[in-house]
Amino acid sequence: MEIIIALFFSTLRQATPLLFTALGGLFSERSGVVNIGLEGMILFGAAASAIGVQRLEVATGGVQAAWIPWVGLLFGALMGGLVAAAHAVASIKYRADQIVSGTAINILAIGAPSIVLQVLYNNTSTSQEVVNRIPDINVLGQGHLSILVFVAYLLVPLVWWILFKTPWGLRLRAVGEQPEAAETMGVNVIGMRYTAVIISGVLAGVAGAYLSIGFLNQFVRNMSAGQGFIALAALIFGKWHPLGVLGATLLFGLFRALAIQLQGGDILPSVIIEALPYILTMLVLAGFIGRSRPPAAVGKPYDK
Amino acid sequence: MMSRYLFLGVNALVLIFMLLSPWAVPTREFDGSGYMLNPLGAINPAALKLPDLHLAWLPMMLWLWVALLLAASGALFLPDERNRARVLYILGGIAIALFLLEALLFYQAVTAANTAAVAAGARRPPLRRFAMSLGAYVGLFYGFGLLLLGRMQLPGGRAFLVRYRGMVVPLVALLLSVLVGAVIVAILRPGLGLANAQAIGLREFLAAKLDLVTYTYQILFSPVLNLTGIFSSLAFATPLIFAGLAVAFGFKSGLFNIGGPGQITLGGVGAMLAGVYMPGPGWLVFIVAILAAAAGGALWAGIAGWLKARFGANEVINTIMLNYIAASVLLFLVANNDYKFFGHAVHLPFKAAGFEGRSEEIQPGARIPLIIDLLAPGGHFSWALPLAVVAGIAVYIGLGRLELGRRLLAAGTAIIAGYLLGLVLPGFAVKVSTDLSSILFNGSFLLAVLALLFYHFFLFRSSSGYELRAVGLAPKAAEYAGVNLNRKIVVAMLVSGALAGLVATHYVLGAGVDGTFRLKQSLPTDAGFFGIAIALMGQNTPLGIFMASALFGVLLSGATTLNVQLGISRDLVTVLQALIIMFIAVGGLLPRYFTDPLKAAQVETEDRTRQDELEAKATKAVGD
Repeated sequence: MEIIIALFFSTLRQATPLLFTALGGLFSERSGVVNIGLEGMILFGAAASAIGVQRLEVATGGVQAAWIPWVGLLFGALMGGLVAAAHAVASIKYRADQIVSGTAINILAIGAPSIVLQVLYNNTSTSQEVVNRIPDINVLGQGHLSILVFVAYLLVPLVWWILFKTPWGLRLRAVGEQPEAAETMGVNVIGMRYTAVIISGVLAGVAGAYLSIGFLNQFVRNMSAGQGFIALAALIFGKWHPLGVLGATLLFGLFRALAIQLQGGDILPSVIIEALPYILTMLVLAGFIGRSRPPAAVGKPYDK
Repeated sequence: MMSRYLFLGVNALVLIFMLLSPWAVPTREFDGSGYMLNPLGAINPAALKLPDLHLAWLPMMLWLWVALLLAASGALFLPDERNRARVLYILGGIAIALFLLEALLFYQAVTAANTAAVAAGARRPPLRRFAMSLGAYVGLFYGFGLLLLGRMQLPGGRAFLVRYRGMVVPLVALLLSVLVGAVIVAILRPGLGLANAQAIGLREFLAAKLDLVTYTYQILFSPVLNLTGIFSSLAFATPLIFAGLAVAFGFKSGLFNIGGPGQITLGGVGAMLAGVYMPGPGWLVFIVAILAAAAGGALWAGIAGWLKARFGANEVINTIMLNYIAASVLLFLVANNDYKFFGHAVHLPFKAAGFEGRSEEIQPGARIPLIIDLLAPGGHFSWALPLAVVAGIAVYIGLGRLELGRRLLAAGTAIIAGYLLGLVLPGFAVKVSTDLSSILFNGSFLLAVLALLFYHFFLFRSSSGYELRAVGLAPKAAEYAGVNLNRKIVVAMLVSGALAGLVATHYVLGAGVDGTFRLKQSLPTDAGFFGIAIALMGQNTPLGIFMASALFGVLLSGATTLNVQLGISRDLVTVLQALIIMFIAVGGLLPRYFTDPLKAAQVETEDRTRQDELEAKATKAVGD
């Protein structure tokens, strides 16, 4: 029983960054912009949060203060949004190939943090540890979960409501399916796409903040370790629907939790369990496990 | 005219840069702090001592530049466009000549001072790490700018730029990335020599920042100055060539192969399996191991190709997924020997004993030798490699009238004949420094050159290559013309993956990582992503890919020094690569007609019509 509970908590924790990122990606892709740079936006968010909190601690003299981690979270979200804005300008204004632009952001996210780390902490792989983490909540005496975990799951119905019950959501989906038709109905296609891409960056930045100042207490080089891509996979696996995305991220989170739990056990080697999300996604894409159809206009630059 | 006032602004900016930046640095400490020369007086925050140096010409130069800038500003307001062009050409030439004169005078002065000091009994030359600096470089770039501006005045100027957009866009992207990189460095690091200086004025502050930026790029490009640096750069370039070709091959066939890292990994696995375990004579294992590297990459990319052809699954997502699966495969094979599957024990033989996750060693016969050991085995120069290269090129050019297939065959034979002849010819003893022989520049570079040739001849000179490019440009039209699309997709991914897999020949068979002939858990696979930058920058042409790889090879090689001397992470080059990808993706922020072939053609026609009209008018005027 104890193992099951531990596995349950671990799954919720592992799924959280995936959920934030995938819900963000949902906005971007539903508006017709592929965001392959989510991985990089997580890293930028993680770095900005950890470094921001560490600097604030230095500025305030290293005290424990309740407001510091929240400002750190804000840094992460803003940084993610800023990087996403660059992706938006490239792919919307300059009609760049969205895959190329996203790849550029992912590579930038490998290099840029380590230049800053080198200057601030004289090493290229980790930031200094911080004391002000985003607080945990005790759940019925069974374990601790970060506040952000709850936020992530509460976000699912909210995103569902925004996308499928509000006029704004309808317009967003229209922009991703038939931008020309949406434009004739008076929808600002360009503006919608900018907003959607920036939202995706903000949420990826929050996911990064969760990793660096929620789950851990420092930034570690390449700490997202492909979670941006797993989130992208969850988006496909969940068929571009918030509830599907929730299911997919929980499943992938379970795999990640299992890979940790079963380390050194005798059921399956953990390296193989780690590969399962990727294999499953490929099977889904090929149509072996139900067909998954992307928004019709995804990846295409829009010309007025 | 807006653009004229813009040009005046540029001129003012050039003058400001000349007044603020160091023009040359006659001596510099190891930590970078230097003695900065400027026509308005030297800037020397670290209080370095300078011997007697002939520098009286420096303030005069500034007046010449001011005169030049004024003349250029006036020239743009000349009424006749032909005269405008002519004057700008002349001024541009003068600017370049002025820069060369400055360089000549400066290096002469420094050499004279050093010689004098050594003659007077100094143990070593007092002036070290001397170089021209930003203030002088600005003049040189301004000169080139004037020449270009002159060309732009004449009719057809815009069409001229658009015609060479394959070079313009990557160069502008490179320039923009270098500028952004400079700003990043200037923000993050303090100016050079300011660490212990008292009372820093604004002038010192700005000059030291500009010096920092200039010196950073001088270090990054410094490997081109000596043979060790060039070898090291080419060693860094080898994986980039393979990876760039892999991505470019995909682009040309209309596919985005972002799975380089996974294909490199599987290439490594293939090379390891054949190179360690295959029995047989050394030369056979050698060849099979190289082919196995290609096969490993081809297999991995082929999966994505097959899934796209058979089920229409997006190759971008699938190749990314395969990257992570490959990482798991690598760990599974070389990180551990013993696994349990539902309680059943499974033993894998691949991991060598020891703490580190790595395979057994490649057998000696299958190892790729260092280039230096091919050029001068045992410190004795051998004619084999140079003769082979010369013979191959000579025969290929000499037999220009022959049909291509025979021509290539003849060139191949000539290469082998040249190699064998060179083995027989007597060489001579050469001294190889330990610096040079310790560089891990191995024969996989020659494979990379062969891969470049293959890419050129297959894509641009063979009918199946033609079909692949047709699929890439217009899949529907190609299909209508009778091309089997699905088959082409699989073939394209197989070849692309094979090219990426060959990166492993450098890392595993050639011990390019750290001198050990093993497949390691820590196999570097970044080249797979950087291949995207290489392909974009090289515009998918073989020459372009080679140049882009060489450029980044130099930067990567220079970056190791950068970290030691200035404390700037070598990841600056990673950032530059990312920026280049981004700037090329947005077409260098240039107008649409530089990136859109249809609009480009439109501009070229417009300009040509205007040119014809003007010429007609001129002829008519002469006739009257």
